[in-house]
Amino acid sequence: MMMHSNALNTNQIMRQVIYALVLGIGAAYYFFGWGVILQITLAVVTAVVVESTFLSLRKLPVKPAISDGSAILSAILLAISIPSIAPWWIVVVGVTFAIIFGKQLYGGLGNNPFNPAMLGYAFLLISYPLQMTTWAGEFLNLSQAIDVIFNLTSVDVLSGATQLDEVKTQLALGKIVSELDVHSISQAWINAGFLLGGLYLIVRKIITWHIPVAFIIGMVVISSMLYFINDQIYLPMQNHLMLGATMLGAFFIATDPVSASTTPKGRLIYGFLIGVLVVVIRVFGGYPDGVAFAVLLMNITVPLIDYYTQPKVFGK
Amino acid sequence: MLNQSFGGGVVIPNPHPVETIEIISAPLPDKVVLPLQQRIGDEAIPCVKVGDKVLTGQVIAKTEDHFCVPIHASISGKVVSIDEQTIPHKSGLKSKCITIESDGKDQWAEHKGCGTDFLHCDQATMIEYIQSSGIVGLGGAGFPAHAKLEGIQDCHTLIINGTECEPGIMCDDALMQHHPREVIRGVEILLHICGAQRAIIAVEDDKQEALNSLLMYCHNDRISIEQIPTKYTSGAEKLLIKALLGIEIPSGGFAIDTGIVCQNVATTKAIFDAVVDNKPLVSRIVTVTGSGVELPNNYEVRLGASFEHIVSMSKPSIHQHAIRMGGMMMGVDVETTSVPICKITNCIFVNKLETKPSTQECIRCGQCNQACPVDLLPQQLYWYAKSEDTDKAMDYNLADCIECRCCDYVCPSHIPLAEYFSFAKALHRKTTEDQYRTDIARERFEFREYRLERNKQERTEMMAAKKEELKKKMANDKAQKDKIAAAMARVKKTKKANDDA
Repeated sequence: MMMHSNALNTNQIMRQVIYALVLGIGAAYYFFGWGVILQITLAVVTAVVVESTFLSLRKLPVKPAISDGSAILSAILLAISIPSIAPWWIVVVGVTFAIIFGKQLYGGLGNNPFNPAMLGYAFLLISYPLQMTTWAGEFLNLSQAIDVIFNLTSVDVLSGATQLDEVKTQLALGKIVSELDVHSISQAWINAGFLLGGLYLIVRKIITWHIPVAFIIGMVVISSMLYFINDQIYLPMQNHLMLGATMLGAFFIATDPVSASTTPKGRLIYGFLIGVLVVVIRVFGGYPDGVAFAVLLMNITVPLIDYYTQPKVFGK
Repeated sequence: MLNQSFGGGVVIPNPHPVETIEIISAPLPDKVVLPLQQRIGDEAIPCVKVGDKVLTGQVIAKTEDHFCVPIHASISGKVVSIDEQTIPHKSGLKSKCITIESDGKDQWAEHKGCGTDFLHCDQATMIEYIQSSGIVGLGGAGFPAHAKLEGIQDCHTLIINGTECEPGIMCDDALMQHHPREVIRGVEILLHICGAQRAIIAVEDDKQEALNSLLMYCHNDRISIEQIPTKYTSGAEKLLIKALLGIEIPSGGFAIDTGIVCQNVATTKAIFDAVVDNKPLVSRIVTVTGSGVELPNNYEVRLGASFEHIVSMSKPSIHQHAIRMGGMMMGVDVETTSVPICKITNCIFVNKLETKPSTQECIRCGQCNQACPVDLLPQQLYWYAKSEDTDKAMDYNLADCIECRCCDYVCPSHIPLAEYFSFAKALHRKTTEDQYRTDIARERFEFREYRLERNKQERTEMMAAKKEELKKKMANDKAQKDKIAAAMARVKKTKKANDDA
């Protein structure tokens, strides 16, 4: 006889995380239009095809692995990280790389040291920097989105760099922070959407508060320090918090249980250092955003963190 | 009030609650099967033969080992066989058992204890009665009660465990509700034996009836009754002590090291019977529950009766069942209901057959480390247990796992974690033993090499010495010969000279 609690099982956990993404995705759709939905659809289809193929090659049962929802979740996370107007093959290549090199080659769910979605993202950003940094500048309807993504006709849509990218360029050109108009309504709303979804996950006890809170504290501490040192070349902390992939990173990416630290104390260290690294990469690195690299870098340190942050065992 | 609880543990509602908790006296069984192998210690040696008539409470087997308790006939009748029978064990083991057929009279062997005015008895006599009455821990561990009470030096607190060790079990609750007087008197006996200043009876906060009945009979200032939260594994001795007194027994240590003695309520009641009347332990209260019975209940039943004897009284459904002895978390699955009830049989679960949810990969969600009552990291242990890296698992304190299965209970991937840990522990033991053997073998080999080398050297040295000696001797011999030759030559010379003359 086996007794199990009535709490969620692994499949339900994955599904809940997907539901929690809806608000943020909704906000992205509101500002960028159908491209967002198309990218997610492409990503999910690719993930299911690649995962099934790879599992059959490994002679493992396909159905339980697909129905656990982990491949679909990784695909969605990657799809919402890339520009909604990126050509179709970007997301296909990225998801394929994420599933094969980020997950299956390590042995599938539970065995991957790196966050698969972020591995796919980093691969794309390094290989196709142009496509990965050109964002939609307006709402696209379905036919526009199809045209752009599948490059059917040469439609001219409003596109440009993200705010973080723009800031970087302007600062490099010699402008100072007070001359810049740093605000992005779309990014603020998208971040707010992911923040709410993340709070839902904490309330449902699907993730614990440790990583997101430490992540945000890490960002606040380092960005405030930099801003205090020189408020002309470093952005204030509220800009860092509401721009880029901050909230998605804090609540959905860094909290991926498989590749994150698993001890209570370790989670605090892990989250804090990711927060610090995100700002450091944004400010001093070559790329406009740093969530993916920060998470991947901290993924490597997890075995070390876990080993040295074991809780005190009863009676020891 | 509680000092502090331990972290972790899980709240599991009783899956088959009953309205009123009763104790039904099961009828005398037609036959009883009494295993000679008790939970701990050597197998007892029968002191009756097939065909012998025995009385209830008569000693039928015992060992020389003072640590063990004797085995008593639980009914009067005739010994019909002494042979191997299946006992309730997770591997379906067989063990030598004495089978007695009832004569239906239940005639008792004579027994006399300290009487109700027991305080005039000295500790040694009481402990003697406890041993000769066959009292072992009735909470499920089966540890001989006298062994826990002997040679106690500085005991400041006696803890009486009135928590059910697992959800679904009701036998201790029933005992406290229906025999509160014996329990309280038993506690007084234990206080006398241990020399402790105070005793605490711990009752879970969902057992209001039991608490009330104990309070009604408790008129002793030294005995207090404390409520603790109903949470699985608060019945575990070390965790109970932590919850009641805030004292953490060191890993690998025992309660008595910190001056605490812990006994279960059912054991306490049995100790009362043993000391007052020297009445042997021939029956116990057993809970029958589970999804496969219509009327879950508690039965006072003779030891050695079959599970079937009381399961049939709880109206089992006609379907096939999964039978489990002990709790749903830490109990053991048994094949049939024909196995005998033993002293450690606190509960029999009769469940409808269910399909297990399939196991998935560990996603390191960490719910298990929140549930672990001893603050381990089961997700890490699982990783190393699975890869058979026992050294690393030991680094993560594998040895401290109490195998309570709280982690199994909360695991969203339904991984049987505790099974992995139990396997890893066994593997570690084996590796350590193998290592020990290898070390011994290597030492022996090295010593042999050394010895051969030493012999060779000694031999060479001896040879050299002998050679030297021989040389010397030969040299000596030569000198001697020369002397003789010289003497001879002299003699010859003289002779010649004489002849010439």
